[in-house]
Amino acid sequence: MTDVLASSTTPVPMPVLSLDEVSRTHGAGANTVRALGPVSLRVEPGELVAVMGPSGSGKSTLLLLAGALDRPSTGRVVIGGQDLARLSASNLASLRRRVIGFFFQDLNLLPGLTALENVALPLELDGQPLRAARAEAQEALEQVDMGHLAARFPDDLSGGEQQRVAIARAFVGPRTLLLADEPTGALDSLTGETVMRLLRKQCARGRSVVLVTHDAAHAAWADRVLYLRDGMVVDETRATGGEPS
Amino acid sequence: MIVRNSILAILANHPSHGYGLKSSFEQGTGGVWPLNVGQVYSTLSRLERDGLVQGEGEAKENRSWRITDRGRRELAEWYEAPVDDRSTRDELVIKVLIAVATGEVEMAPVLQTQRAATMKRLQEYTRHKVDADPEREMPWVLMLDALILRAEAEVRWLDLCQKRLDQVAGASA
Repeated sequence: MTDVLASSTTPVPMPVLSLDEVSRTHGAGANTVRALGPVSLRVEPGELVAVMGPSGSGKSTLLLLAGALDRPSTGRVVIGGQDLARLSASNLASLRRRVIGFFFQDLNLLPGLTALENVALPLELDGQPLRAARAEAQEALEQVDMGHLAARFPDDLSGGEQQRVAIARAFVGPRTLLLADEPTGALDSLTGETVMRLLRKQCARGRSVVLVTHDAAHAAWADRVLYLRDGMVVDETRATGGEPS
Repeated sequence: MIVRNSILAILANHPSHGYGLKSSFEQGTGGVWPLNVGQVYSTLSRLERDGLVQGEGEAKENRSWRITDRGRRELAEWYEAPVDDRSTRDELVIKVLIAVATGEVEMAPVLQTQRAATMKRLQEYTRHKVDADPEREMPWVLMLDALILRAEAEVRWLDLCQKRLDQVAGASA
């Protein structure tokens, strides 16, 4: 009886991201091209979801919609409990800065800024005082074992170290959702594995990752792997056995 | 041949009893290949007959085995020669080829079902790797790397099959 009461009072955890029957089409009338959907997807706190599929299957469209960088033609996108269709442009921009981190193959680290300054930049742009932003940036760098290289410039870091800085920047501050597009594309197997371990570590802290990749070995680090074909999810595989550490 | 040559390799490192060989083989291969101790004894008898190993002691459980000079030469040849590529006999490859050649089934579901199964296997190997410690379990980690890379290659091959079939279907449409 107490169990029933306990479970009835336990709040159902809110998904970090939810796509509800979302589709995206381009053009109109007879020239309409469907890029995606309809697809539905829920990403829970701490979950790592990989999205695979051939070129043109809708992977990038899905990531743009999940990142509030594009609006769906039909359906609903909810991020952190907020229905994107109901947000003003400025609220949408603030949600993008505060909730979502982006991590792309082209890392876009600014060469004139140190690792610490690169990571602190999104917080400073969001109006945080310099000292607080840098303290958070230092912590984010330490989470990816880069605390000791915070004062280095990107050119003085190896490719793998630059990836770590980019992960720290994507997760700095209060952000809970990381969207990654081919983050391991140009990396050798071991460095790619290190990146995947770091992403898993962030998931263990309760953050969520949606990862678009061509690389099945890296997708296999995910809790779920979605496979898209012609804009539709044709398959979903889920890891069985023990919880990932 | 794999068990035979692996036994030579272990004996080249240290003399051993039959049961010790079984344990060394299993530990060295990450525990993925359990050996029957009877198979170890029968292999040792053949190796002794060919002059590649030498046993001391009476009862087979108590016999201690060491490698001979001829055994060392045979082992060196094994290490020097590359392993033959046997991938053309792969069941999955043949299954897909026959299916395409006969045109009896729709290919997309066949490829997709296999893709999902291989992906799931890949996820399970990766789960094991997350928990494995390369410092204490090197053979296991290397075995997992091999399994992961093979499964990854299988997924890529399945994707390529689908793309080529799509391409040909598109060209003839």
